[in-house]
Amino acid sequence: MAKVIKIALAGEGGQGVQSVAEILTEAANEEGKEALYIPNFGVEQRGGVSIAFVQISDKEKVGSPKFEKADIVIALSDRAIRRCAQYVDGNTVFVYDTFIEGVEDDLPKGAKKVIGIPAIETAKNELHPRVFNIIIMGAVVRATHVVSEERAKQALEDKLGYKFEQDPKLRELNYRALERGMQLVEGQL
Amino acid sequence: MANKPIQGEKRMFMTGNEVCAYAALAAGADIMYGYPITPQNEIMHYWTRLAPKYNRSFLQTEDEISAGFTTCGGVLSGKRAFTATAGPGNTLMQEPMSMAEMMRIPAVFIIQQRGGPSTATVIYSQQEVTMTCYGANGEGLRIVYSTANHQELYDYTIKAFNTAWKYRFPTFVLGDGYQAKMRESLTIYDPELQGIQMVDTYPLVGLPGKAGADRDPAHLRNTYNTEEELYEVVKDLVTTYEKFAPEIVEHTTKECDDAEVVILCHGIVSRAAVEAIGELRAAGIKAGMFRPITLRPFPTAPLRNVVQKAKKLLIVESAEGQFARLALPSLYGLTTPMETIFKPGQGITSDEIVKKIKDMA
Repeated sequence: MAKVIKIALAGEGGQGVQSVAEILTEAANEEGKEALYIPNFGVEQRGGVSIAFVQISDKEKVGSPKFEKADIVIALSDRAIRRCAQYVDGNTVFVYDTFIEGVEDDLPKGAKKVIGIPAIETAKNELHPRVFNIIIMGAVVRATHVVSEERAKQALEDKLGYKFEQDPKLRELNYRALERGMQLVEGQL
Repeated sequence: MANKPIQGEKRMFMTGNEVCAYAALAAGADIMYGYPITPQNEIMHYWTRLAPKYNRSFLQTEDEISAGFTTCGGVLSGKRAFTATAGPGNTLMQEPMSMAEMMRIPAVFIIQQRGGPSTATVIYSQQEVTMTCYGANGEGLRIVYSTANHQELYDYTIKAFNTAWKYRFPTFVLGDGYQAKMRESLTIYDPELQGIQMVDTYPLVGLPGKAGADRDPAHLRNTYNTEEELYEVVKDLVTTYEKFAPEIVEHTTKECDDAEVVILCHGIVSRAAVEAIGELRAAGIKAGMFRPITLRPFPTAPLRNVVQKAKKLLIVESAEGQFARLALPSLYGLTTPMETIFKPGQGITSDEIVKKIKDMA
């Protein structure tokens, strides 16, 4: 059977994990792959951990929309780290942000690999807080290879092109965020 | 202005709610009546965005009882009309739905199941099976398509309008919160290019000429005075429904020919079952799947045939046996051992099915 890459992206509402999932799956679809993305949503309008469940396969249609264990989990807050432990097994790469404090004991023990990346600080100090989620998208792209870097950039262009037209610096900022995200996981995998 | 909304065919990547709105447009639906409830809201949102471009209409009503009745009213006036709802909205809409059964009003209802009972969750379930098939006071003279993916949501939403208007029974597309909210690929198309001719619609009331003199009266009633009169009418409805049933009923199977364990499921759960069969077959376990596409009418004979040959049956659903209760009368008298995975309001993965079947062996 063809391999399906299963990704769980989790953060606080407003961190932009849902838009990362949307851009990423659009990109995979454009590349001719089969993608399925389902947001986790509760009764509340805001607050709570926001999780995006993403599955991408080379050819075959994806099966059930939810899964038990992910190939990669990205957790971007303390609550998200605790909430996502359930999606981790010995084949899971677990990525979290090193800016989150007091979670040392909550990091999953049985993961294939646990990787801390300074995405929040990189966004704040080097780039701009608003491209934080694009850094995360870069990290996912490099960690999973579900889409090429070129396709990821094209997807950003498709999604944000109208904004880039008004301010070309934004394009550069987003592209750099994507590249920085890729670098952050590079060598740690 | 009123050009064709969908030209040729096109691969899309979108949510199931969006799919339903596009399908209704492609099917030539004239009007949607609706009241918001999660997880089907975006059907309304997309419809209201798209409809004005193609001279189609929308009416938001004060609640789901009203949305159901106005849909029936739209149909009576000859419009290809539909509505969409979920959960407690489906509960409220049962009264107009049963009127549609009694008066044979070809209204189309899209249901995106959420958790129950009551408000419960806005997420997902298969807990609206009993209600969608047999809700309200009546005999369940409805046609219910249970879809499993976005392609089917598109195909069967279009088909629902034709089934409704051809056979004149209320017709349902039964999805769920996952199908509503997830994004996946599908091909949307102009039905005509696929050889699908939309069945003509026509007014059921307000016909020209004088009733009784120039033409027979339309005689649409939902009230009767005597037991005998009602008995005759309902018997007649049941006979008509059963006469059409063989033309309407649909099911699909996966590797049932030599299957020792048959998974019986419907809707989105069948995706987990198909995955599970792949894994089980690779492990040397002969598993197969039977999936009714129409829950009403139910594919009794083909199911019985498959289960009769199997050594074991596993019924899997995201409800506490609603689908099992629908299926079991078809298996009356068989002795095939049966086990179940009932998970009310929760999604089911292939891993759980694989594990269960390995435990059953």
